[in-house]
Amino acid sequence: MTLTQQPQLGAARIALANAETIRAAHLLRRAGFTPTRAEIDRAVGRGYEATVDELLHPEDRPDLEIEDLIRRYHVDQNSLMLLESSQGYWMYRIINSQRPLEEKMALFWHGLFATAYGKLNHAKAVVNQTHTFRRHGLGKFADILVELSRDPAMIFWLDNKDNHRDAPNENYGRELLELFSMGIGNYTEADVKAAARAFTGWTIDNAEYMSIRASRDSFWPYGRIDWQFRYREDDHDDTEKTFLGHTGPLSGQDVIDIIVQQPATAHYIAGKLYNFFVSDRPDEEAIGIMADEFTRTGGDIRAVMRRMFLSDFFADEAVRLGRVKSPAELVGGTARLAGSHQSPEWTISNLAMDVNFMGQEILNPPTVEGWHTGMEWIDTGNLVERINAAGAEMRDTARPGVRAIIDRVKTRGDRLEPRQLAEACLDAMGMFEVSDGTMDSLVALAAPWGEIRFDRADSIGCAEERVVEMLQLIVASREYQLA
Amino acid sequence: MTTTMTATFTYSHTVGFLAYRGRGFIHPVDLTLGGNGVMYVLNRGGAESVTRLDLKRVCVCTADEGYIGEWGTGGTEDGQFWWPSAIVRTGDGSLYVADEALQRIIVFSPEGEFIRHWGEVGDAPGQINRPADIAVAPDGSLLISDGMNHRIQRFTVDGEYLGGWGGYGAQAGQFNTPWRLACDADGNVFVADWRNDRVQAFTPDGRFVGQWGVSGDGKGQLNRPSSVAVDDEGYIYVSDWGNERVQIFAPDGEVAAILLGDATTSSWADDYLAANPDEQRARREADLAPAVNPWRDHRRETSAGVEKFFWGPSAINLDAQGRIYVVDSCRHRVQIYRKNS
Repeated sequence: MTLTQQPQLGAARIALANAETIRAAHLLRRAGFTPTRAEIDRAVGRGYEATVDELLHPEDRPDLEIEDLIRRYHVDQNSLMLLESSQGYWMYRIINSQRPLEEKMALFWHGLFATAYGKLNHAKAVVNQTHTFRRHGLGKFADILVELSRDPAMIFWLDNKDNHRDAPNENYGRELLELFSMGIGNYTEADVKAAARAFTGWTIDNAEYMSIRASRDSFWPYGRIDWQFRYREDDHDDTEKTFLGHTGPLSGQDVIDIIVQQPATAHYIAGKLYNFFVSDRPDEEAIGIMADEFTRTGGDIRAVMRRMFLSDFFADEAVRLGRVKSPAELVGGTARLAGSHQSPEWTISNLAMDVNFMGQEILNPPTVEGWHTGMEWIDTGNLVERINAAGAEMRDTARPGVRAIIDRVKTRGDRLEPRQLAEACLDAMGMFEVSDGTMDSLVALAAPWGEIRFDRADSIGCAEERVVEMLQLIVASREYQLA
Repeated sequence: MTTTMTATFTYSHTVGFLAYRGRGFIHPVDLTLGGNGVMYVLNRGGAESVTRLDLKRVCVCTADEGYIGEWGTGGTEDGQFWWPSAIVRTGDGSLYVADEALQRIIVFSPEGEFIRHWGEVGDAPGQINRPADIAVAPDGSLLISDGMNHRIQRFTVDGEYLGGWGGYGAQAGQFNTPWRLACDADGNVFVADWRNDRVQAFTPDGRFVGQWGVSGDGKGQLNRPSSVAVDDEGYIYVSDWGNERVQIFAPDGEVAAILLGDATTSSWADDYLAANPDEQRARREADLAPAVNPWRDHRRETSAGVEKFFWGPSAINLDAQGRIYVVDSCRHRVQIYRKNS
């Protein structure tokens, strides 16, 4: 059974922090993966706008600093030959990256330009595509589309290696318009054919050999070989074409330049960004504001994102805690919060499997349309998975993130009554808004414990266990499962 | 072929083939040599899902591509592997396998039968944290590269602690996540000081003697060296893991050769291709060394795109015939070179 009711916290929410702190936490949840309390404090200290600008410039922060350790200890994540190894690698990035929005953008573009291992049988090719999203994901949309069109995984996924001057294959040209830029109803069948012809000759090296290997899932004799983009001028149709009213010997680059100028493209991409970062419920006025920014800046995604993050509609109470976390967000974010997997641990495979079990096989989306998001992430089966996985992450008091939460709770006093304990735990986890019902449940959990005490050596261990139990109930709450 | 004043190093052939079990390797990380060209190749496998645990095993074969058999499997029971990192053969033919996840040294008979294991996780003297490599000293003791404790420790073959040196840091005699190590005939110890991008040499009692390499990808520079070997003429062989190459330093410290990998297909691979003629034909018509122009991590991405190059060279071993064995972990094979003095 899929739950269809839209998530809403409602007006009866209890605020545990000031508006500035609540807004910062909201920004970091949406632009990243479950911030820690320390990260929220830092953002408040820097100021909202400065934090937005920092998020929008991931290149100013170091790339993943444990990449060498990952490759050494997980040799399978060095070769990235297997899907589960590659999924584990992405989980490490989500957990450890100091560039949260870069990872979030990669996840966004991966969902929009959905390319799946299942057809390619080449996990590293899909990983390489996500690196392209990291590099260009906040850049000009035209550049993103050019890189996407040159991306070997995409060329393979939508058969552009079979798109020849004398025998066009329309698959990529069609999806470029329908799913990747404009949306159906904004172009004609003739435009699809023209776009396909413009991308003839955009292929990969050794296409026949690589096709045979992929079709039989052959990694013999020595593992996968990275595919390389190749432009074959002798296979490119350079004759005159008419595309969206423009006529000439149009190339793939020309087609992309025309696409980016279309109002439909601005609206389509704005809508997708709004859906991913703001709300599952479309707001045409807000999308229009973002589309205008797209048009004004010539398709500058960073500018559109900045406009969105600084808008009133993004800060609106109605959208806060109104999006269901995707499985990758939930699992990766909870691991970040708990401080697990900050260095290589073989259990990373389990985290990746948890995400799969919840219905999101990253690097292997179900169709070219990506995943259905929002409330469709939650059904009666995977809700249990979500709660169990999140609870398991918070179980270990030795994990640095859990330890930091416990230590922060202790600063609230040597003795905590049930309500105080619940509030202290929520605060230490960076959760500043809960419903009356959730608060009642948390207090009810703690009520039998009475007062917990950190001021006696013989009670500290027990008190810390109580905190962990409280954390496990909190991550099962509606508010935690939302972002 | 690369030539120096005193020695040349030529590619000989490749042993191996990607195989989850039986005749071939899957993410091999180390090997040790027995008599008559026998190779014990340690396969780490991965990922650590239940269905892939039996990828972890030791493949026994010969340098001239004879397949002898295999033993071992993944798991946490006695004699099983989880993150097997190193294998070494002692004078009596016993085989010692280090495991970085189970935090122990596992002892096998020459036939691969489990005998015992030892090791205790921790950072106190004699405890270990992610044992990365084992080397046999001339006196028969075992030297262990204690990766996450950033030190070298010496044990008897029964696991009795004899001493050690090092600690975290970048000064002479300190380490940052050391990987493999080797002893020369006099018992001097050479350590691939992985995250310090250098190789350090020590006397048998741990006194610092010298070092090779600084961070970089130029000639003589190192990027996360994984392994070191030394021959009886004083040549130092370093698998320059992060640069996807092998560098050979002459006794005077100069770079004598840089090897990028020259792999050809093994006879095992040829058998596969012969059984799949359409794949074989397409492969013959393909350009297996295409132009590669990656925008990130140039060395690694080039190796990922050009099959003959080393990709993740994780161990380097020498034999008495002047052969150099490079374990090519992401390509599931061993590339063998020959030194011509």
